[in-house]
Amino acid sequence: MRERSRRAFLGGVGAAGVGGLAGCLGFELESGSREPALVENRPDAVYRPTHTEGMAMAGVVSDGGYSCALTYSYPHRFWTVTGDDTTQVEVGADDALHLMPVVWHSETGVVPSDVNPSVDVTRDGESVVDGLNPWPMLAQQMGFHFGDNVELPEQGEYTVTVSVGAGGDRRTGSLAETERAEFEFTLDYQRSELRELPFQDVPEARQGTLGAAEPMEMEMVPLMRAPASDDLPGTVRGTTESGDAQFVVTTLEDATPFGGDEGQGYLAVSPRTPYNRFPLPQLSLSGTLSRDGETTFDGYLNEWLDPDLGIHYGAVVDGVEGGDELTITVDTPPQLSRHEGYETAFMNLPAATLTL
Amino acid sequence: MSDSHGIDRRAFVKSAVAIGGAAALSACLDRGTEIDVPRGPEDPTAAFPERQHAWNAALPTTDAGNNHHPRHRVLLALDYGEGTPTEAERETVEAALAGVERAYERSAAGLLLTISYSPYYFDRFDADLPESVDLPEPRALSAFEDPAADDADAIVHLASDHGEVVMGAEEALKGELDELNGVPQPDAALTDAFSVRERRTGFIGDGLPAENQDVSGVPDDGPVPEDAPLYMGFESAFEGNQPTEDRVTIREGPFAGGTTQQLSTLTLNLTQWYEQDTREQRVSKMFCPHHAANNVVEDAGENLGTDPRMDDCGDPMETARSEGVVGHSQKMVDVREDDAPIILRRDFDSTDGDRAGVHFLSLQRTISDFVTTREAMNGEEIDSDSAVGQRTNNGILQYITTVRRGNFLVPPRSLRALPPARPDADVAEVAERAEVADA
Ligand code: HEM
Repeated sequence: MRERSRRAFLGGVGAAGVGGLAGCLGFELESGSREPALVENRPDAVYRPTHTEGMAMAGVVSDGGYSCALTYSYPHRFWTVTGDDTTQVEVGADDALHLMPVVWHSETGVVPSDVNPSVDVTRDGESVVDGLNPWPMLAQQMGFHFGDNVELPEQGEYTVTVSVGAGGDRRTGSLAETERAEFEFTLDYQRSELRELPFQDVPEARQGTLGAAEPMEMEMVPLMRAPASDDLPGTVRGTTESGDAQFVVTTLEDATPFGGDEGQGYLAVSPRTPYNRFPLPQLSLSGTLSRDGETTFDGYLNEWLDPDLGIHYGAVVDGVEGGDELTITVDTPPQLSRHEGYETAFMNLPAATLTL
Repeated sequence: MSDSHGIDRRAFVKSAVAIGGAAALSACLDRGTEIDVPRGPEDPTAAFPERQHAWNAALPTTDAGNNHHPRHRVLLALDYGEGTPTEAERETVEAALAGVERAYERSAAGLLLTISYSPYYFDRFDADLPESVDLPEPRALSAFEDPAADDADAIVHLASDHGEVVMGAEEALKGELDELNGVPQPDAALTDAFSVRERRTGFIGDGLPAENQDVSGVPDDGPVPEDAPLYMGFESAFEGNQPTEDRVTIREGPFAGGTTQQLSTLTLNLTQWYEQDTREQRVSKMFCPHHAANNVVEDAGENLGTDPRMDDCGDPMETARSEGVVGHSQKMVDVREDDAPIILRRDFDSTDGDRAGVHFLSLQRTISDFVTTREAMNGEEIDSDSAVGQRTNNGILQYITTVRRGNFLVPPRSLRALPPARPDADVAEVAERAEVADA
């Protein structure tokens, strides 16, 4: 059962079969990971990385209104973000794998950005890793998820427990009905299995060019993209850009699910990555609305989770009319760790405007 | 025993406290030069303050101007069992405690101790605790923690700069020693009234975390700085960020002069902290981004003297909105009263379970004062209104897990031996009974 789902999952990287990819391995896993050198002169934008990767999965478990897939790959470099600073994290000599507990709301497929999964790993009842809180991350093949490189002492079976707390207050509909949840998995760490995972070099001429690797479609695991602008509820007012980020703006007539009164409207901004349309959580956004030079709203656009809008930012406003001027200000770039190809993007985000 | 194994004596003492027991103590005493700790007074009750927790006057001041914290700790978690205590048991407990107080002077070099009682202990009495004592059963204090309840009946906290002293006191309290520091010990033992459920141990102070970093939760390459007082690498208790003992003391009712004790067991996972964060990230998450950007903190922070300069940090929500990160202590500045926090931190690190951890022990007038402080540390509003995450860039929440919480009452000294829930009522009842008998 577990084996089958894992195999299905391996199919992700496209046409080439697993066997056929063995020769694509760009590094030797026995002695830890040796990733190809970074692209030189990386643009300050989303760019095509040096390689793409496959992943394995230990299973999918549901609890408390959530589902969780425990996915993993070989360890790799990533960048943490604190404020405007990015810090490159190199693979440690003892890192065994890159562990990614993917948690989503079972009913809507929304990957919640307001809970931080915790991970404990045991082997024969003995603790191996405990209290690990993986970083919120953004990857071109996966979008928003949580992950970190972890050390394991030896090959073999481990019990991995993932837990998430109750959700935050800014949720609507069934998203507000989740409970604290715990998911248990058996993970069989075998270097040979990791070696078999797809690893595909991106042709040199394309590395570092504007664009992004294709998202990996995974069986049993929803890939959370921001809704296409046509699919957003309300009156879609248009799209504006800041740096590489795209902001799709829509307005809803009923603000009650978002803490407003019936007579009030809701202004929603859905920031997403270019190419792959991944939502961008963990931003500080504010907005100003003006009509005929008079300010009608000026305040925070707060992060909300909604079944139809997905991860987005919004504010209750006293009515929006066509022709209103909206200015969106990015007070802090997304505080998400980045996988290769995203680490230089979404850091310098100037104010963006849109006439509604 | 010789030092032929090359273990230096200091390292040995440290692990002996963690190991505990009569054998560890005698090995430790046989091995080193005799420690020279002055004895306590003949009559400790006459000499010692009514506030058990009045330690500050007995603590030396460090070069930087802060209280020195006794370096070695033992917490004995005790169970009383069924029923209510008898007068004879109270006398036994008092005699046992006074025995170790006669053996060692009341100081950091000697012995400091408190005994405290949980709400589970007080449950056995018909009467409730008076309203002047705020001592609820412990509960989870954030959406992302799931702690076990520390339901021991009592906790004895032993503290000294000498590992031998805490170990000696522990053995004497368990009735294992006839003599301690040359002072005869009473026949009475804590174990006559209690059973020892668990011993917890720890340490705090320059060098000890580095010496004890070979545990899970700390990366293998020994990243804890040589002279750091705590695992995370920074000084914590500055004169300028601790309240006075007065502020945390219960003022009214039969337990006036006592305090409440919050004791949580935290585990640390410092792999990200030391291997993935930079020094600048660590300073911004522990203190605040302002301190990181302006190099305000050198090494563990000795250069700050007595004042971590929290005023320069700015409003946490504004920092969170504009910098995407908020400092641990920065988040709690709003809770201050008269420019000082309302909980007195006497926490320390631990290797219990071969795991890097913290016994987070704080004293406050009411448990609500702790809850208010801890809620500020959760930064829920900051998390939902800014780029700061539930744990990420939210102070040090990403690196700590609360595995257990307990609340205890540290009664005033005169009530420290198996107190009833309503000492005032009991006194009244006894007086009433006496009157009836007289009649
Ligand atoms: C691993 C756990 C912890 C570590 C390593 C730690 C470390 C520190 C450090 C280094 C400081 C001093 C920094 C400064 O004043 O700028 C500090 C301050 C403080 N900590 Fe913690 N802490 C921990 C847990 C806690 C917990 C659980 C609480 C309780 C809610 C707490 C409450 C406080 C308070 C009230 C302050 C002073 C805030 C102020 O200046 O107003 N700490 N901590």
